[in-house]
Amino acid sequence: MIKVTVEVNGRIYEREVAEDRTLVRFLREDLGLTGTKEGCGAGECGSCTVFMNGRTVNSCMVLAVEADGAKVETIEGEAKDGVLSSIQAAFDRNHAVQCGYCTGGMVLSVRELLKNNPRPSVAEIKEGIEGNFCRCTGYQQIIEAVLDASGQLTPSQKGELKHV
Amino acid sequence: MTQTFQYEAPQSRAELLALLAEHGEGAKVLAGGTDLLVNIRYGFTRPRVVVNVKKVAGFLGSTFSKTDGLLIRPAVTVNDLLRDPRVRELYPLLAACAHDLASYQIRNRATVVGNVVNASPCSDMAPALLCLGARALVASERGERVVPFQEFFRGVKSTVLRADEVVEGILVPAASAGARGGYRKLKRIQGHDLGIVGVALMKKDGLLRLGISSCAPTPLLVDGLKETDPPEVVVAAARRAIRPISDLRCSREYREYMVEVFVRRLLREVP
Repeated sequence: MIKVTVEVNGRIYEREVAEDRTLVRFLREDLGLTGTKEGCGAGECGSCTVFMNGRTVNSCMVLAVEADGAKVETIEGEAKDGVLSSIQAAFDRNHAVQCGYCTGGMVLSVRELLKNNPRPSVAEIKEGIEGNFCRCTGYQQIIEAVLDASGQLTPSQKGELKHV
Repeated sequence: MTQTFQYEAPQSRAELLALLAEHGEGAKVLAGGTDLLVNIRYGFTRPRVVVNVKKVAGFLGSTFSKTDGLLIRPAVTVNDLLRDPRVRELYPLLAACAHDLASYQIRNRATVVGNVVNASPCSDMAPALLCLGARALVASERGERVVPFQEFFRGVKSTVLRADEVVEGILVPAASAGARGGYRKLKRIQGHDLGIVGVALMKKDGLLRLGISSCAPTPLLVDGLKETDPPEVVVAAARRAIRPISDLRCSREYREYMVEVFVRRLLREVP
């Protein structure tokens, strides 16, 4: 066991972890932050996406001991004081959530995309979320939500999938 | 995960080399972890010691000099490379291959050095590094050696590295700066996937080179061609070099066909 200190959503946690503990298991099982989902466990599906030191990573492919001293942000930190973030609100408005399993990782990947590229094209959105699988929506509503969140839809276009 | 191992995060090069000398085959180097941690999870590898190299002093970042070229250190991620304006300007082929590697989150973690040390036949960085004449800077407690990438790969997931050795940098020569190039990668889906066929084409000072992945046990370099060679000559050279197999992702014939398609396309696209 190794002692780690990790900042998650602004709060400092100190825990003893096994060497082979992954970051996603640490978040879910040691800290109880179950918003981060483990899907494939092998970097294919992106449902475990979190921010680590300001960049998105697949938390199934990071050891908890590697996160010692790091700043981690999960989907639990996205809404502030019970108010959805602009990305979450756009997902809600555009029906971009069905079963919800991919949504946490998807929202964080979209946040990273919009941070680097505030008005992405549809092609750029598809590339930005290529590491996040959604098996429900067929992605159209998610792309719509990203266009909405980045202010690229007029009120009459919202929710009508006209652009994709 | 289902295995236990000892975890080490050496702070200095000397400590790292001592750990590798002590544990030999029992130690695995952890850089981005995007291959190693998956292999550990599936039980494909069972290291006694996992050695994180990202904390080693001097293993972060890339440097460029007009005499030595571009030095890519072990902790440099694929996205670090893509964000580097010197790479985009001077080594566009490196950027093209990096851009096609896996997904955004994986590129945030996967390292350039790890992608070649892993020695997958479908490595995306190897075709560019082969074309650009890059070399691996290899270190152990016994000393240092420099291995050009056309001598680096031995077979599927196998390299010339000995158990106590680590790649402490990749040197892309200054002479290759400004080379024009492009990369085409065939995948089963448009999103992120392992390559079925990858072809890099480089032109510089009248010379033309191809780097080909997923068409032999190792990534391949096709050298000795000229920019003025007609497409038939370039295609024939590529066909002679490749030794593709049929597997669950596609047939040998399809790989042969797509190599030709990509070579012809790149000859038209690369200025």
